[in-house]
Amino acid sequence: MTALLDVKGLNKRFGGLHAVKDVSFSLAAGAITGVLGPNGAGKTTLFNLLTGFMAPDTGIVEFDGHALGGLAPHRIVNRGLARTFQLTRPFIGMTVRENVEVACFAPRVRHEGHARARAQRFLDQVGLGAKSAIPVDVLPYGDLRRLEIARALAVRPKLLLLDEPFAGLGTSEIQPLANLIRELHRTEGLTILIIEHKLREFMQLVSEVIAMDFGEIVAIGEPQTIVRHPRVVEAYIGKTDAGLADIGRAGGDLGIA
Amino acid sequence: MVQILVYGAVISAIYAMLAVGFTLIFGVARILNLAHGSFYALGAYGVYALTADAHLPLWLAAIVAVSLVACFGIGMERVLVRPLRRSTLAVLMITLAVNLMVEQVLLLIFGSEARNVPSMVGATYHLGDVDISGQRIVALSGGIAILAALWFFMQHTRLGSAILAISQDAEAAQYMGIPSDRIYSLVMGLSAGIAAAAGVLVAPFQTVIPGMGLLPLIKAFAIVVVGGLGSIPGSIVGALLLGYTETIIAFKVSTEWSQIVSVAAVLLTLILRPAGFFGKRAAF
Amino acid sequence: MVMKPVDFYGASIAAATLALVPWLLGSNYVTGILTVALCFGIWAASWDFMSGLTGRENFGHSLFIGAGAYTAGFLNVSYGLSPWWSLPAAPIVAVAFSIVIGFPTLRLRGPYFALAMLSGAAVMQSLTIIFSEVTGGQDGLNGLYPLFDSELAQYYLTLFFLVVTVVTLKLLANSPWGTILRAIKGDEASCQAAGINVTFYKIASLMISAAFAGLGGALYAHYQLQVGPDLFAVILSINIIIMVYVGGMGSIYGPVCGALFLNLLTEGLRGLSEYRLWVYTLILIFILFFLQQGLFAPLWRRLREVAK
Repeated sequence: MTALLDVKGLNKRFGGLHAVKDVSFSLAAGAITGVLGPNGAGKTTLFNLLTGFMAPDTGIVEFDGHALGGLAPHRIVNRGLARTFQLTRPFIGMTVRENVEVACFAPRVRHEGHARARAQRFLDQVGLGAKSAIPVDVLPYGDLRRLEIARALAVRPKLLLLDEPFAGLGTSEIQPLANLIRELHRTEGLTILIIEHKLREFMQLVSEVIAMDFGEIVAIGEPQTIVRHPRVVEAYIGKTDAGLADIGRAGGDLGIA
Repeated sequence: MVQILVYGAVISAIYAMLAVGFTLIFGVARILNLAHGSFYALGAYGVYALTADAHLPLWLAAIVAVSLVACFGIGMERVLVRPLRRSTLAVLMITLAVNLMVEQVLLLIFGSEARNVPSMVGATYHLGDVDISGQRIVALSGGIAILAALWFFMQHTRLGSAILAISQDAEAAQYMGIPSDRIYSLVMGLSAGIAAAAGVLVAPFQTVIPGMGLLPLIKAFAIVVVGGLGSIPGSIVGALLLGYTETIIAFKVSTEWSQIVSVAAVLLTLILRPAGFFGKRAAF
Repeated sequence: MVMKPVDFYGASIAAATLALVPWLLGSNYVTGILTVALCFGIWAASWDFMSGLTGRENFGHSLFIGAGAYTAGFLNVSYGLSPWWSLPAAPIVAVAFSIVIGFPTLRLRGPYFALAMLSGAAVMQSLTIIFSEVTGGQDGLNGLYPLFDSELAQYYLTLFFLVVTVVTLKLLANSPWGTILRAIKGDEASCQAAGINVTFYKIASLMISAAFAGLGGALYAHYQLQVGPDLFAVILSINIIIMVYVGGMGSIYGPVCGALFLNLLTEGLRGLSEYRLWVYTLILIFILFFLQQGLFAPLWRRLREVAK
């Protein structure tokens, strides 16, 4: 099976900082993969490079068989690669439904018409259906995350990039969101790539993990293996003790450690 | 040739004073102060009113005028700008309103005829085969002195360092316990005072009319954009560039063409290099 | 995209009033003032469509006005064409200007875009004065012909174009265009992430704004029968922005009300013409502090609620 996303030798420097170093990996269609790494590992930069918000210094990104080099972000989206942002960025001054309607006007899906009805359906899908008419400014944080996902779904992507979807969420909000993501993966057949560093929920969601540190990929494998990989453990010990506890707990949840 | 050199230097010094004040308040408080030209005009009119009506000696009038305008700047920041801080465009509009207001007030009080302000130094000097008025020399030396004092203040005093810190990172400065609000007022006062000083220095040889602040505002903005928003060295370099380019074109081509230089420079810089040549903050 | 009935009635009443008043009063003086006010209405509405919706305030709208007006001047005076040629030509020239200045400046953030546009208009003003053999310099071009010999007929033509402007722009604002432009105001990066070509919409809306502004410029030129560099002046752009603030940004019809209000107020204060700018400035300060949503659009929205 040919890969949906093929990344080869991606590099990005910011002055003296080598944020993304020689990153190469592939994503098969229908897979749900995670990018794991401590803060500063280059995960968000990687997303920015994949989605056209930043241009790589060197490297090739092939999506759905076509190279994405130098395309503007909106064109990449219209090829079927959608993303959410780590810090949610809603369209303030508009209602929740209007926020999703905007995406319904993207060239990729514009011809389907009935933007209002479509937007409502996507909102229903993420559980925000009842809140469609309220101004987005008053939406609580957890709902804003769902809104971001609804907006990404509205362009009917083949690949969905989620940038730290669980960040800032309280414990009671995390599981429902994880369930939503799992549900979407199942029903829409989406390929999903998630950045996170909250281990437990993340490990239960993804089938493969790409572990990064200091801009490089240090390991790729299944969650159980990655959690015990020496370099991954080292990266977390080096950064926080909480991370180590998480690893232990995650391992315990998966029935390993 | 000598004329160009000297006139260019005088103009550059004045422009530098205007640009530095403009870029300071921008660098520190992110305010594009459209009332900056008003400070300049108020300085000139202030010294006129104090000498002609209140009959103060010139040197005293100059000091009082500059101080009053500095207070005006502080007042404007506290009363009009601070409440609107959340919206950069509202701040732009309110400073614009102040600019219009000041011009109208000056028109009302002093009328539209040009006013004469006596020179500080009546003598004319000869450099080579060229006559340079003493006042121009005073303006040049005054400008350099003020800029040097400002540099000293920023580099060697606690307050000056605090201001530099804020211009680089407002939030971090706040965490360090530097009271931003008070510093914004202070910097506005400083900015206003320097602009007023420029007005005071040039009043004897420039046309003193109510609308005299508009062009300097545009020039200051042009210099700051070219030199880099928030960068003091950039403003000085930009001032020299603009001052000399204008002088050269005015002498070699025509005065009308020289006026386009500044606006064209803004456009070109914003188009080609929005961060300016020394600036860290891009305009987009 | 259909107008709500209450809005339709409101707009019809307004249009009917504007149509009847000059005819009933039968004074060329009043008709003239209203014609100018309507031109300002066209300019304010066109400004609002781009800047009001996207939030990118354009401080150089006079660039398009002057471009349209001078096009009328050149065609009519320098080339002797019938004044009716100005009506299609002026928007086209204004649009050309908007493309030239729009491309490099639209990627700039708020205040910088504003001031870059202002610089563009200022450059144009200076160039107009410098190349005086072609443009007539400070004196401009004189001797334009009116479109109709009757002032009243010219007024109705201007009113017609004002209605066309407001209806077209309002329909666009209520369509996906409007939603997208408001989203651009909200967050440009998110717009990109939603698959929208932000640059296209920004330039296109500037072009549309310019087209109507240029049309207004031509109508104004054929009313005043002369064009001068003042039409590129910064103060003209600022006055229009104040009218939009008074009317209510983003509503399209609000700015028209603001334009009418301020023009009539100015005429009422004719005796105190030195105070005119005072009044405008004080009103602006008042609006900025107490009525950020403007006066007329919120007022209409209140009335609508009551009408139900």
